[in-house]
Amino acid sequence: MPDAFVEFLSAAVRIATPLLFAALGGILSERAGVFAVGLEGMMLAGAFTGVVATYGTGMVAVGLLASVAGGMLLAAVVATATTRFRADQMVTGLAVNILALGLTSYLLRGFGARGEAPIIRVTTLPPLPVPWLGDLPVAGPVLFRQPLLTYGAVALTVGMFVFLVRTRPGLTLRAVGENPTAVFAVGGNPVRVRVAAVLAGGALAGLGGAVLSLQQVGTFTDGMTHGRGYLALAAIIVGRWMPGGALVGCLVFGAADALQLRVQALRLPVSSYVIQMLPYVVSLAVLAGLGRTARLPAAIGVPFVRERR
Amino acid sequence: MSLAAVALAFAASALLIAAAGKNPFVAYGALLQGSFGSWDRIAVGLNKATPYLLAGVGVTLCFRARVINIGGEGQIALGGLAATWVALKFPQAPIVVLPALSLGAGALAGALWAGLAAAIRLRRGVHEVLVTLLLNFVGVLIVSEVLQGDLGETGAGFPQSPLLARAAWLPRLVPRTDLHVGIVLAAIMVVMAHVALWRTPFGFRVRVLGASPSAAAYAGISPARTFVSVMLLSGALAGTAGAVEVLGVHYRLIEGFATGFGFNAVAIALLAALNPIAVLPAGLFFGFLETGALAMQRAVGVPSPLVAVIQGLTMVFVLSAMGLTAGRERA
Repeated sequence: MPDAFVEFLSAAVRIATPLLFAALGGILSERAGVFAVGLEGMMLAGAFTGVVATYGTGMVAVGLLASVAGGMLLAAVVATATTRFRADQMVTGLAVNILALGLTSYLLRGFGARGEAPIIRVTTLPPLPVPWLGDLPVAGPVLFRQPLLTYGAVALTVGMFVFLVRTRPGLTLRAVGENPTAVFAVGGNPVRVRVAAVLAGGALAGLGGAVLSLQQVGTFTDGMTHGRGYLALAAIIVGRWMPGGALVGCLVFGAADALQLRVQALRLPVSSYVIQMLPYVVSLAVLAGLGRTARLPAAIGVPFVRERR
Repeated sequence: MSLAAVALAFAASALLIAAAGKNPFVAYGALLQGSFGSWDRIAVGLNKATPYLLAGVGVTLCFRARVINIGGEGQIALGGLAATWVALKFPQAPIVVLPALSLGAGALAGALWAGLAAAIRLRRGVHEVLVTLLLNFVGVLIVSEVLQGDLGETGAGFPQSPLLARAAWLPRLVPRTDLHVGIVLAAIMVVMAHVALWRTPFGFRVRVLGASPSAAAYAGISPARTFVSVMLLSGALAGTAGAVEVLGVHYRLIEGFATGFGFNAVAIALLAALNPIAVLPAGLFFGFLETGALAMQRAVGVPSPLVAVIQGLTMVFVLSAMGLTAGRERA
């Protein structure tokens, strides 16, 4: 296989990583019955806090923790508004995205003089080749010579599947997304489950942002997520709310993006903009193809209200 | 309710200003000065508010019918594109005809883009939130693609179209200011939407469908027909918003000329509590807030993205308040 193709596949996996974190977080939230439109904002917040904390302390571990906290902070806004105040979930997500864009840009300028944005550089996470496996042809560079968080995303996909399908808390979480009243009837607390799911989802989306800023770019720029949160949302639906399906969706989107960056090098007869459209057109086509069989969790979008006796 | 939300958002943002070591009162003073300090500033604010009013009133009609059309970004971008195309294609057209033709093309393009979303929703059952959201990205990329090719200005160094012929520009409302006639058009649309919603059979269908789909079914109202009507209407309004921005402010199509407009329109519709007539103050509030912000940044060094914080917080507060009231009515 030619080197350029192996390099392309490797890039696709790299680009899919932040999407995958966000998509997995979104699955938690949506499976519990809360639309995850706010993923974009949570990613952006995580990207910001991750860079600032890494820059401030010089320790990536602190940066990663900070990105988790950043994502959770915005998730807390979503959780409070949608459960405590029963606000519309979709539009709350949109509001949080606007809020995150404003807040990160504002705070970034707070570090600079005269309201101008400073440039904060951190070293990106290097590739960590797995001994022996990294030397395999094709699979080596594509799968086993990736940076730390890419391995983390794959491990998390497996973990999420096991959690959702094979554990009791996972079952409860899915039940809350389908029929919260039933969960309440057997003594569970649907509101608490939803809050926990949204917060955990925010933590993962925040990590997705950290992948962007700490693993790929090495700095923070205004609105650097550029709609990746929305793309993750599409990956969730294309993957039918399952971790494995979302993984495939993210890889397809990653491949389209990797191809877009190589249009000129490969002398493709289309413009890079047309290829940039591909992920969105593909999502639309897949969604339209799935049609009504793409069944949403039954209680998604509906606030849980205890019945009065 | 909305006023309280705005006040809360300003109060919370004041803490952010104070945290940056600036005086919030001085900053808000500069914001006010930058918004209303001179006739020029007022003209800029009104121009800024114009596309928000047009797109916002469309979103209001949609949300009233419980149609969550968040495709404003794409519909606005393509509206601007269509208006530019017509203006560049027929530069010889008479002076009043050309802007009218371009505006019409913008409205048509926006309506078609929204219609495409409506078709996918009805035919394939994919939720309109997802369809309109995804089509936003495609619409914006189409503009970039066209600016790179046929409509692009050669050697501009930035993705933009050539300057439009003067005949295509929207006339000024007040001579020697930047204020163009778009604001009048927007105000007319707001009033028309208000009348349509409260005084026509169409508006009745929209309101019944939004209040209770089962009652609408019982009354023989076709959800699909009403859905398509509000989508087309709001698409046309968003497309007009894009056309007005091109023909009245930039006089050319520029990549990213309407970034965030569609989402702001959603925020404005909510702030107006889905009342068309209340879109007027809500849209003007957003317009003046944004023009004032840049002045605030220049005068006292408080970064202008603070405005997005205020907007986002206002939305969260309004949504929470709306959710609480709806919950009480249910109980």
